[in-house]
Amino acid sequence: MSISVSVNDKQNSATITIVGNFDFSLFNDFRAAYSDLPKEYELYVIDMNMVEYLDSAALGMLLSMRNAVNPESDIELKGTNDFIKNILMISRFDKRFRIQ
Amino acid sequence: MKLLCVDSELVYREILSLCAEKENIHVKSASTYDEAIQTFIDYAPDIVTLDVIIKGGNAFDLVRKIKHLSGKRFVPIIFLSSHTTDSVMDQCFKSGADDFISKPFNEVLFNIRLKTHVRHVELMKEMYRKNKALTYYQTMIEREHEMAHQVLNHIQNRSENNSEHVAITRLSAASFNGDLALVKTRSDSARLVFVGDFTGHGLPASIGALPVMQAFFDAVDDLTPVEELASQINRILFNILPDYMFCAGYLILMSSNGKIEYWGGGMPNAFIRRESGAVDYLQSNHMPLGVLPFTEFEDNFKSDSLNAEDTLIIVSDGVLELKNDNGKMLGNSEVERLILESYAEKSLLEAQKITVHKLTEYLGDSLQLDDITLVALRNTHL
Repeated sequence: MSISVSVNDKQNSATITIVGNFDFSLFNDFRAAYSDLPKEYELYVIDMNMVEYLDSAALGMLLSMRNAVNPESDIELKGTNDFIKNILMISRFDKRFRIQ
Repeated sequence: MKLLCVDSELVYREILSLCAEKENIHVKSASTYDEAIQTFIDYAPDIVTLDVIIKGGNAFDLVRKIKHLSGKRFVPIIFLSSHTTDSVMDQCFKSGADDFISKPFNEVLFNIRLKTHVRHVELMKEMYRKNKALTYYQTMIEREHEMAHQVLNHIQNRSENNSEHVAITRLSAASFNGDLALVKTRSDSARLVFVGDFTGHGLPASIGALPVMQAFFDAVDDLTPVEELASQINRILFNILPDYMFCAGYLILMSSNGKIEYWGGGMPNAFIRRESGAVDYLQSNHMPLGVLPFTEFEDNFKSDSLNAEDTLIIVSDGVLELKNDNGKMLGNSEVERLILESYAEKSLLEAQKITVHKLTEYLGDSLQLDDITLVALRNTHL
């Protein structure tokens, strides 16, 4: 699986880890990763340490997630390489996400 | 699952039927060569068993004939025979058989081998089914991409023709990737430019392009300010597109005195090559169009200026992500170097040609995956 989910109830957070290219092929799996969770969390972490490339479809999927989860919850994009960070920044994703 | 048993001896036909029917396999038998062929045609079995000795013909010929009749269908052929010398078995496999079981056979062993072949046939059938479905979807998507290209070409045709002041080059790949470039001169001689990149590929990516085109040409007629047009397009796309789709883009208004006002969201830097060979950038500082609701949209624009002999060059990310034979991406700094070099050329159309040539050279024998859009502008009136 190129997407895995783990939850930490103590910290009230859920982590979605993506491996490989983050693109349109993950559309359904990514949506399932956050919508199939048993409850809402305060913090969602998208771990992209193992992601090399992300396309504009992936940006759309992140925006869709932002709309779907509780507006009070934070979404942190973690482990982004320079290429990905640049893509996120030119689209000003820092306005809706925490970028690490 | 259907099995055809070809054997001259009644006792073997019966044993085999009993074994196979226990596995829920339906069995028909044939005792001669001609009967075997006729039954194969009428019954269309999934598996065939046969003896090396057959009345009325040669068993190896029969194997070849059956394999031929099966066409694209995979039908395992299993020899069941008491002739077990190496040379006989060799002939069996060479004629196209898939397995050999010696007679008299052990029922348990026979059933295991039979199950293996059944599994094999089922897998092949499933693969065939999936392959057919995939071919269907692939054809459908190819048609959709064709249609998207047509819609976009229609829009593109309303844009200004290439000249020594405006050059738009699009290199189309097999799949339409949502690039859109429009340039039009307004009645006050100012020039309005839109270079956009819709999320996704194919038909979905082209859907937002139609209303954007409409808003763009209305803005040309109505002399709408850049920030107002940005806000309009954002509202249109926010309303019609699903939340996972948007359009990155630059909206640029170049006045006849060379003053530039631009709004940029989600686009890579655009370049201004100064006459001196120095470079300045147009930078996006907003979220792409169609992401933010009307109330949150920021319409503040930036300014710059284009002097005589300066060139403004906007490239789509397809250019930055162009891959050569070794799978290496062209990247930002290389694009910048290439552009600064090419647009030193006095003629804009010539410079555009040089750039395209260099990009094609970089691509080499590798396949261009994305559409590429390259827009270059110089000031008309200076």
